[in-house]
Amino acid sequence: MPAQTLLEVNQLQRGFGSGTERLEVLNGIDMKIVQGELVALMGPSGCGKSTLLNIIGGLLEGDSGEIRLGEMSFGTEKPAQLVQLRREGVGWIFQDFHLMSHLTALDNVALALELAGLEATEAEKQATEALERVGLGDRMDHIPDQLSGGQQQRVAIARAIAGNRKILLADEPTGNLDIATGEDILQLFKELCHREEDPLSILMVTHDPNLASQADRMLLLKDGTVAASDIRSAWGIGGEEE
Amino acid sequence: MKRLRELWSKIERSPDSMRLAGLSAWRGKERGLAVFAGVFLATLVITTVFAYGIGLSQIFFQTSLENDPYDAKIDLDAEPWENNSGRTNDTVLFSSICDELMSMDEVADCAMIYGRQGIRTTGFFDREFGRAQPLNIESLVSPEGNWENVSLSYPEALESGPPINGDRIVRIAGAGLYDGEFRERHEEQILYGSWPTPENAVELNAVVLPSQLANQAGARVNHTIDEITISYVTESIALPGEIEDCSGTIQASAMEYLYCREEMTIRNMTVVGIYEEWIPGNPTLLFNPIFISDSALTDSQKVILMDNDHGYLGIAVDRSQLPTSSTSEAADWLTDLGEKISDKNYTSEELEVVYTDISGGSIIFLNIFLGLIQVFDYIIMIPIVILSISVLIYGLILSLEQRRREVSINRVMGATALGLQRMVLLEIFVISLAGWFAGYFLAMWLTPLVLDAVGFMSFRTGDFEVDPSLSLTMVLSVAMLTIGLALLFGRSRTKEYLDLEIEEGVRKVVKEREPRRWLHWLMLGIGILAMIESWIEDEEGLGPIGPDGLLENFFIDGMVLVFGPFLLWIGGALVLARVGASGPRIMRTLLGRTPLLKDVRRGLSTSGSSEAIYRLAVIMLLTLSIVTLAAVQGFTGTLVDERTSSLQTGSDIQVQFNVPLTENETRDALATAFTTVGLSESADVAMLTTVPLLLTNEQGEDTNYLTWVLMENNDEVLMWDSQAVPGNDLQQFQDAISSGYFTSGRDVSRDIDAPDSKENRERSGSGEWQGDAEEEFALTLEYNEINIVMSNDTEEEELDPMLLFSLLESDNNMSHMDFSNDDFSGRDLGMFNLTMANFSGADLSGANLSGAVLVLTDLRGANLSGANLSGAAILAMNPENPMENFMQGANLTGANLTGAWGIGNLFPTIQSNETICPSGEPANESGCSLELDIPLEIAMQMGSGMQFELDIVTRNATVKYAGIHTWVPGLSSAEATQALIIGEATWRQLVGEEAATSLNQTKWFINLGSLADENDGNTLRLIRAALEADTRVSSVIDWSSTHRDVERNGGLIFGTPGLLSLQFVVASLASIASAFVFLSLVLSQKKKDLAILQAIGASPNQVIRLTLFEILSIVLVSMVLGVILGVGISRAFNGFFAVFGFIFQIFGGTNTPINRDLIWPWWELLLINGTVMLVVVVALFFTTRRALKADLSMVLKGE
Repeated sequence: MPAQTLLEVNQLQRGFGSGTERLEVLNGIDMKIVQGELVALMGPSGCGKSTLLNIIGGLLEGDSGEIRLGEMSFGTEKPAQLVQLRREGVGWIFQDFHLMSHLTALDNVALALELAGLEATEAEKQATEALERVGLGDRMDHIPDQLSGGQQQRVAIARAIAGNRKILLADEPTGNLDIATGEDILQLFKELCHREEDPLSILMVTHDPNLASQADRMLLLKDGTVAASDIRSAWGIGGEEE
Repeated sequence: MKRLRELWSKIERSPDSMRLAGLSAWRGKERGLAVFAGVFLATLVITTVFAYGIGLSQIFFQTSLENDPYDAKIDLDAEPWENNSGRTNDTVLFSSICDELMSMDEVADCAMIYGRQGIRTTGFFDREFGRAQPLNIESLVSPEGNWENVSLSYPEALESGPPINGDRIVRIAGAGLYDGEFRERHEEQILYGSWPTPENAVELNAVVLPSQLANQAGARVNHTIDEITISYVTESIALPGEIEDCSGTIQASAMEYLYCREEMTIRNMTVVGIYEEWIPGNPTLLFNPIFISDSALTDSQKVILMDNDHGYLGIAVDRSQLPTSSTSEAADWLTDLGEKISDKNYTSEELEVVYTDISGGSIIFLNIFLGLIQVFDYIIMIPIVILSISVLIYGLILSLEQRRREVSINRVMGATALGLQRMVLLEIFVISLAGWFAGYFLAMWLTPLVLDAVGFMSFRTGDFEVDPSLSLTMVLSVAMLTIGLALLFGRSRTKEYLDLEIEEGVRKVVKEREPRRWLHWLMLGIGILAMIESWIEDEEGLGPIGPDGLLENFFIDGMVLVFGPFLLWIGGALVLARVGASGPRIMRTLLGRTPLLKDVRRGLSTSGSSEAIYRLAVIMLLTLSIVTLAAVQGFTGTLVDERTSSLQTGSDIQVQFNVPLTENETRDALATAFTTVGLSESADVAMLTTVPLLLTNEQGEDTNYLTWVLMENNDEVLMWDSQAVPGNDLQQFQDAISSGYFTSGRDVSRDIDAPDSKENRERSGSGEWQGDAEEEFALTLEYNEINIVMSNDTEEEELDPMLLFSLLESDNNMSHMDFSNDDFSGRDLGMFNLTMANFSGADLSGANLSGAVLVLTDLRGANLSGANLSGAAILAMNPENPMENFMQGANLTGANLTGAWGIGNLFPTIQSNETICPSGEPANESGCSLELDIPLEIAMQMGSGMQFELDIVTRNATVKYAGIHTWVPGLSSAEATQALIIGEATWRQLVGEEAATSLNQTKWFINLGSLADENDGNTLRLIRAALEADTRVSSVIDWSSTHRDVERNGGLIFGTPGLLSLQFVVASLASIASAFVFLSLVLSQKKKDLAILQAIGASPNQVIRLTLFEILSIVLVSMVLGVILGVGISRAFNGFFAVFGFIFQIFGGTNTPINRDLIWPWWELLLINGTVMLVVVVALFFTTRRALKADLSMVLKGE
């Protein structure tokens, strides 16, 4: 069964500054991600990886171009107009985890669900499931300070996957973790993408070639465009594009 | 050398470093604002408190000195008759000394004056001091007014110091008195017309009259005076010497001198002003003269006066230069000035002068009192100083907390510890310097305003001129304290950070030191104890606890009452802030399930653990409780002042006449006063009442009770206070009194065994309402109208009691003589006939008056302590006006009255248990009574054949008990405890309709309606002055003047209203500023949280709701707790006021029966709290909006 296209980015442009100071970071990005795909986004510093991720995740607006995510279509809208996208479309995972420090693991996950409009009991039920899925069923009542870095990142993942979001956006998800823990997290990502039922897609920014090599596909960003969209061409080995 | 170079390069760089520090401060506005606010408030408060203290001294000096426009009298050192060198009779030469004196900085004005002779001795108690005589006025001729019957004697002068002279005096002055400082000081007293200018003084030969004299003569401004004859002294000699050659008249004075007085006449003068007489103070220049311009004197007259030592120089010193830090320093300054002036020789003639200090003496007396007041005021300001310093420290903690990461990161980047510290400190220095400047200048501007406060948040400018500038040392000390504190604290904190492991610094989670909670609770505990103690003492006991409260030990009780309020405040704030910080949890519990919070409730911070939030709650509690305290105590004090004035005056005006007047006669007297003042209104606008008093006894009992009668219209005239009456309901009280009820003073209620519980009767203050008691308590009062009836066989006629006593004979006759205020202590007046002699105010302590005839002898206010009055015949009641008592206020402490007899009541005298009553028994609580129990031998002596009997008409009335009263407006509150109050109807029943209709009284109360408030009470004061001129009037008090006195030294104690107002304003500002500053800090810390929330799907609406409820709940809960804490502190402070009130009373303050019933100014509190809330909402709105607009990706990426 050919995989269904989940995310499609067309001619996305974004620049910063004005006049002679202006810097075009994204110069007409085109890309696609299908359901169940774990994609690594790589490129040199300042090439626009995070900018692209932020625009897809509804934290930043593009100057032009269009993004389709399932039924949703956006690209140049302000973040304030994209609440629905962040609630139902994308789940965010950050390098710094960005958990609410005074809330327990369960509350951190349930809060996101309640913000999206779920009743308290339903939110807690789904949050519990999500936490169990990331292997934190026994750590639900711990606050972030009482958890290790890897566990905190799992809470963040649980928060992102709860509520049936289609795609997870991960910005250097293992940047603050040791190698072993980073591996664990990637393993979790793979499980989420490759499960039978309702697989997720993940777009992950990383600098770590080892991690990137384990992804299903890799995109290389260079000079504001997608320079390569599979692992071999990205590493300069040559080969055909998918 | 190297170091020097380094230092130089540092100095060279310093403007640049300062600029950078300033820039950095500007960039971190929020954290900078906290430091700025702290230093600003601390500087403002501390500077104001110090400047206030100095201003207070200045005002105190001025109030005590304002009674005397002259600071010193300068005489020529040599006496004229000694023909000494260093003397002149040349007026021009003498007055040129003024030019030399005026060139001294300390001297503000100098004037040539003819008046009292040279004083060449120090101290009023020296007999020589009484030798120098003033110029007396002998006669005055004017075509206008009526001067013929005006008395030119001025006996008050004899009573107000050494008895130097008892006549009206004149003061003839040169231009110096009519301009400059002297002009200002005299002008203040002018009632009509004006103080002359130097020009019209010369042109018109200006005269300024004292008001009483002018009123008696009907003199007005612009009246001409043809002639004034004055007398001067040509020779004086101490007794028993003799004056041999006197072309005038020889007079003797009570100072045991003989004088030869000659007369001179001054012509063609015009009245340009009438002044309100000064209250007699320092006797050096004697009192309340007629001022005449010296242009009226001829040159030869001037020479005569100079030759006879009547010329002197009046000096006004620049009072603003008086060192005001302490009274002794001020007195020293004046002494030094005196020495400096008298040590010099003046003019080409080498004139020598002697300096007699006038103001120095007055100052010394202030020493203790001023010290006490300052201690009190400084203690009162402690909270606000602590408050501003805590804003400073908290601000620093928060702002430095924000720099923790920055410092650590810079450290990693290779910055040295010293460099980093310098960077932080320089920034703090720049900000705090700016804060200090702002605080200092605002304080300087604010202080005079604070000193002008006459009530809480009520100010009257112009009473005093103060220049409360601080010395440089003081200014620098304050700067060092505030800026220094900021730097010191900043230094220790930065050092702490630098000592931390870098790793820990970069970490965002900081381990907080556990606060000493046990200490917070201990403080709160002691504070609550003080509050309860103060409450119990206010309520005069509670349940089983007596009026002394829980703590019986006087010292511990005092300590708890003085320090408790402060501990309550600090401890309460620290403990309650924990509750305040968990406001979100409270909010979550209350509204968590409603649509308002359903979707965001989980996000509400529930732990309250954030230190910033806790500190926000602490600051809110500290500030708002002080706002509450200042408002409550301020308004309470203001009202206590008003109530005290009403209690003392009784109505707008209270007049005490020498003779009893009917209502119509009183109204006529008032009408005359209206005309004098020039009012267009008729005297009919006034409402009048009086409070007749009589002696009643309970049917079948002997004890007499002082009984006050409230006339039907009394409530329209008397200023009643709910505290005065039982049950606190004035209407209920008035209704009851007019329908046959009575109330009793506390002491009487014990005697009559009124049904109030014993505990209730032990307390002070008015009792509970007893009018509706189940078992009605009634009393049948009896009143005896006594007529002495002579009877022979054929006819019966009424005998004038006078006649009865006139039968008494004595060889030693001092009848009809005036000995008022004289000293008869220890004198033997045994068996003397003192009929109708005037001994009012005289000292008869220890005198022998046994068997004396004291018929209609005026003993009012006389001191009879320890006197022997055994067997004396006393008629102390005026037969024409039974209400007039000739022994009113006489002191009978320790007097022996065994066997004394006669008519009159001894009730209004002062007695103690050492007083021996006529019965031979020591006086008991109800005092002695006098019986017409004529000794047999006297009855025999009165001759045979004459028979008389007493015709006693007894009437009675049954009255029902309504409870215990505390006072009647305008009447002595000490007497009120021993009096009964009945209504007019009851009184008519007792005295009979005939007596009731011909009611005449000596004390009348006048309600002037809207006239009373006209011209800020000045009209009232003018009417008072006009009434005083009525010869039948012995004294008048008006509400406005009484209130002015009370405002300055009454319920709130001198100067405190200003401080409480300052507290109110500063604490309000602090609460608003700190809410804003702390909120900005808290929200900037939360900026990232808000971005995360948005990233996980929160809508802007949800973010706003979350922030709003979280912060508002903290502020709201803290606010409510702050007000509750404030209410507690206000209550606790009542105990503090009571302790200080007690101390002030010891040092001569007056007691008032008025309770400090707290006033709750809810509206003002609501206003302040509302404003704080508004500021918080506005701050929230802006900060949250900014957070929403922020680039989410940037915020989430880093900081």
